[in-house]
Amino acid sequence: MTSATPEIVSYANALLETMDGALGASPNTVILGQGADDFKGIFGSTTGLAVKYGKDRVSDMPLMEEGMTGIAVGLALNGVYPILTHIRSDFVLLSANQIINLIAKYKYMFGGLFELPMLIRTVVGRSWGQGAQHSQSLQSLFAHIPGLTVIAPSSAQTVLDTYPYLTSTFRGPVISFEHRMLYSLDFEVDRTPLANPLAPRLIRSGSDLTIVATSIMVLEAKRAARWLEEHAGITCDVIDLHCLTNIDPTLILTSLKKTGRLVVADTSWPAFGTAAEVCRLVVQADPTLLKAPVRSLGMAPAPCPTAKALEDLYYPNLGTVVDAAASLVRGRADHGVPLPAEKTMSDIYKKFRGPF
Amino acid sequence: MPSNAAYDRMFRTALLIRRVEEKIIEIYPADKIQSPVHLSIGQEAVSVGLCEALERQDLIFGTYRSHALYIACGGDLTQMFAELMGRIGGVSKGKAGSMHLTYPARGFMGSSAVVASHLPHAVGSALAAKLRGTNQVALCVFGDGSLEEGVAHETFNFAALRALPVLFVCENNTLAVHTSIRDRQAFSIQKMAELYGIPYARIDAGYDFMEVQRVAASCAASIRAGGGPQFLEIATYRAKEHVGTGEDFGFGYRDRAAYDAWCAKDPLITDQASVAAMIDAIDAEIAAAVVAAEASPAPGLDELLTDVI
Ligand SMILES: Cc1ncc(C[n+]2csc(CCOP(=O)(O)OP(=O)(O)O)c2C)c(N)n1
Ligand SMILES: [Mg+2]
Repeated sequence: MTSATPEIVSYANALLETMDGALGASPNTVILGQGADDFKGIFGSTTGLAVKYGKDRVSDMPLMEEGMTGIAVGLALNGVYPILTHIRSDFVLLSANQIINLIAKYKYMFGGLFELPMLIRTVVGRSWGQGAQHSQSLQSLFAHIPGLTVIAPSSAQTVLDTYPYLTSTFRGPVISFEHRMLYSLDFEVDRTPLANPLAPRLIRSGSDLTIVATSIMVLEAKRAARWLEEHAGITCDVIDLHCLTNIDPTLILTSLKKTGRLVVADTSWPAFGTAAEVCRLVVQADPTLLKAPVRSLGMAPAPCPTAKALEDLYYPNLGTVVDAAASLVRGRADHGVPLPAEKTMSDIYKKFRGPF
Repeated sequence: MPSNAAYDRMFRTALLIRRVEEKIIEIYPADKIQSPVHLSIGQEAVSVGLCEALERQDLIFGTYRSHALYIACGGDLTQMFAELMGRIGGVSKGKAGSMHLTYPARGFMGSSAVVASHLPHAVGSALAAKLRGTNQVALCVFGDGSLEEGVAHETFNFAALRALPVLFVCENNTLAVHTSIRDRQAFSIQKMAELYGIPYARIDAGYDFMEVQRVAASCAASIRAGGGPQFLEIATYRAKEHVGTGEDFGFGYRDRAAYDAWCAKDPLITDQASVAAMIDAIDAEIAAAVVAAEASPAPGLDELLTDVI
């Protein structure tokens, strides 16, 4: 028990603080994005910054995703650090040509002559009928491409310890998948700097099972671990993967040496995704670490349905994680561990009353 | 007031659209519709006039803001409300919701929530019509923001190059979310169309469905005669916030006076005699559709993985 009350920061405010910090730290940092300067301020993450730093540095954009991204290349080549915003990650697909064919390759293709330090911030939608085109978690699509660094910050803490490092120190292009559901949540934060802000983090310790999670599934994994300990005496290591590219598997392997059982919980589809990548790393390192088959949790293999009734079935939730974990540890589907009555962080989702 | 059958018919459709959206505003706080809604209030006359000018076999593509287009083309109201409420009786079994309304029975072939992504779909449909000799016209309705996207330019070039039977209609409400067209476009929309050799017309009175119908019908006739694509820019006015059911005049990005000026010309407000003559029947039709939609169950687990491949 520490005597000091922990500092509490919301995800949106952590973003705002780091954006403010990046603009304040260097006159050569700019934010470009549709609506970046308006009164909604990318869900509160840029609010007031256009007034503080001027509209040339916090700049609204026409509908020009590919053009904007190519312009960011020009900026980055000339010493300006661009932060691009997209209110939905789905729209980043219009910039995929610049990101994949140009940005990811610029350094390597020219033999290291150029660097393109930049941060592309994108928001993953969920709930309130976001439907097929406003809900995609596209992290593994980009993580597949050498040259890109892809992160999925799961908390205000990970935003605060990573974004300042990216905007001030890191020299490569980064795409960040920020989950819309996280924006309004409050987190305890610790300001101690990290040696490597892109490394995976162990956020809860146990001995029966390892849960590797990303983005908002980290929260569900933590809640599931608490439930399992309280209701079944099952204890879990929970690892926040945080960065999906160039994963250092040491933490995961060390954990598996202890637990031998693995659940991967990602916000996206399991096929060719985070779960597949984590399994690849484990199996390539030491397949004998696994005492049981791996369980991977993600969205159902379909486009996201708009209807609430289907959306509830579409996403993994607290119950799904508990169920998968319990059946893995107990070795059978009728594991006897009570499942939480609440479906998920449904209170949060219920409070999230639409559109964006 | 002109009092002919066409006026009455179009007035009725426009009023139906407005009352449907006012019903949506009424029921939205009860969470019956758990999805984003982009309302067309203020813009109804555009869709009404356009659909009146089309033939039954023609093809239609629109955006996430397509409640008006859906109703104007003859979309079923119960299926629309069921779709918005995420019910199995919806036109797309609840999987589409408000942002992806469609009604293939009347040629409405899809609507997309990715700005400008449907422009090439309309042009592809026009290409198919030409290849197959079907004499169909493809109607492509989009907002002013679409014209900034690269795909718009690619699409106009190709439509003109191949003289395809497509009517491009820009619903110019001067806004993309909260950003004025002045802060987004350095070009003239007219010159953009003309750059590709696409004949251009502009309607300032976007509230006047008779005018929209008249101009669109002459565009469609020229297209059907083999004259290639046409471009129609229609000035219109978005009364509500970009997405959602509220007003947003208090946020300093637009002026209430423009709204008042628009209302002063809007026949759905000025022609109260027609409103009085029609509103009760329209409201009864809407109320029945809401009841029927609510009676439709939510889709079940069996639907989750249906239609994926
Ligand atoms: C490619 C893409 N970029 C950004 C968005 C976010 N967005 C949704 S609607 C909209 C404004 C579009 O304005 P306009 O085309 O004029 O249509 P209106 O909403 O005025 O009908 C934007 C930027 C999107 N849906 N798709
Ligand atoms: Mg517009």
